[in-house]
Amino acid sequence: MTTDDKMICPKCGAEMNHHSDKLVYTTDSQSVRMGEMLGSGYLEEFHACPKCGSVASRHAA
Amino acid sequence: MNAIRPLFIPVILGTARMGRMSVHAARLVTREMGMRAGVETELIDITQLPLPTDDAGEAIKDRGYSSKMERADALIIVAPEYNHGYSGLLKHVLDSCLKEYIHKAVGIVGVSAGPFGGTRVIQNLLPVMRELGLVTIFWDVNFSSVQRVFDKDGKLLDEAFIGRVDKFLKELIWMAKTLRQGREQIPLG
Repeated sequence: MTTDDKMICPKCGAEMNHHSDKLVYTTDSQSVRMGEMLGSGYLEEFHACPKCGSVASRHAA
Repeated sequence: MNAIRPLFIPVILGTARMGRMSVHAARLVTREMGMRAGVETELIDITQLPLPTDDAGEAIKDRGYSSKMERADALIIVAPEYNHGYSGLLKHVLDSCLKEYIHKAVGIVGVSAGPFGGTRVIQNLLPVMRELGLVTIFWDVNFSSVQRVFDKDGKLLDEAFIGRVDKFLKELIWMAKTLRQGREQIPLG
């Protein structure tokens, strides 16, 4: 369920580390459609930059 | 890079009540943290955050608060106990971020006028911390009968709290270092 391509830090350009996923429940119709396979939510990935420490997230594919 | 990047561990003062004694506890913890090598800190007073109250959650994310939470390696929450719970404004502020908190350490300082030192507000905050992705430590600081711990000008009247805060901060810093390593170096799965 997770996205294979590495996330690039938007602040320093380094390759980020994917360290966590969270199932996010929402009433937003678009997100619910994206998350139909998970029931009533979607999976969010969380990434941290080993160079500058910044964090980022994205919907899993 | 990690070796030269100091930890950032801000202190969140979680009440807007006038005459709050928690501000003295928050200032004490901030001062003690600020004396540690390799750690930067600052006191975040939730009354100073320009969050609207006609919406909630990440929709009202404040850029300044979000930036500080992103930079943070750990948080200290100073929470007075009001009717056994935490302040509504504290929850409103905490709910405005998510990705900024994930796999970061949090320590909670309970404050009360009564004898239990905020133990019930700490217990009530634990499930909230977990859902926000924060990792709680098992040391707390409990300021019971806070009106006898500080004078009206904020002077500490009970020096035993210096040692208690020291234990709490050591545990939090250890967890902050460990989780930074995990977040930035250890891939999921």
